[in-house]
Amino acid sequence: MEQVLSYTVWLALVIHVSLVLVCVWRAWRGENIIDRLIGLDVMTTLTLAILVLFAIIERNSIFIDIAIGLAALSAITSIALAKYIVDQRMF
Amino acid sequence: MQTLLQVIGLIALVAGTLFSILGILGMLRLPDVYTRLHSTGKVSAFGTVLLLVAAISLTPLSAGKGIVLIFLILLAAPAVSHAIASAAYRSGVAMKIGQRDELKDRIDH
Repeated sequence: MEQVLSYTVWLALVIHVSLVLVCVWRAWRGENIIDRLIGLDVMTTLTLAILVLFAIIERNSIFIDIAIGLAALSAITSIALAKYIVDQRMF
Repeated sequence: MQTLLQVIGLIALVAGTLFSILGILGMLRLPDVYTRLHSTGKVSAFGTVLLLVAAISLTPLSAGKGIVLIFLILLAAPAVSHAIASAAYRSGVAMKIGQRDELKDRIDH
């Protein structure tokens, strides 16, 4: 059971890293600016998932702390960028 | 009890990874900004939350922080999706497969 769990966690880590590469390509070559913003938002979410998988692998809860900080920061960043795209100014 | 927690963690891990793969596949394949946004909302709302459930049930040391992060994601992810969809509508991105637009005469650009 431990062996199966270890293999599954590593496989999930490889899959998430390749999905981050897909999102980087999407944010680089998007159709319009909203597509690029969606790619950036999904990229930060997948980085969050990679941090959680590192917390499972290392059995260390400091990665969950970093993930909390990253989640708050990425939410505020995406909302601010969406507002900036519409109004062409931040405040 | 230990085996039950490990089985729950394994199922949550596989389901979360599957939701992430399907969300990114929808982001690549769907035709429109709004439908793509609908698909990528599932990555944060189901994929990361299920991975956090797996982390809580597999490692005994991070239950409180994991629950705090689950509530934070479930609070922030729909707000971010709504903000991006509102920005797309207000900046004039056209729908490709929508049949009617009921928001058009209710909003001032």
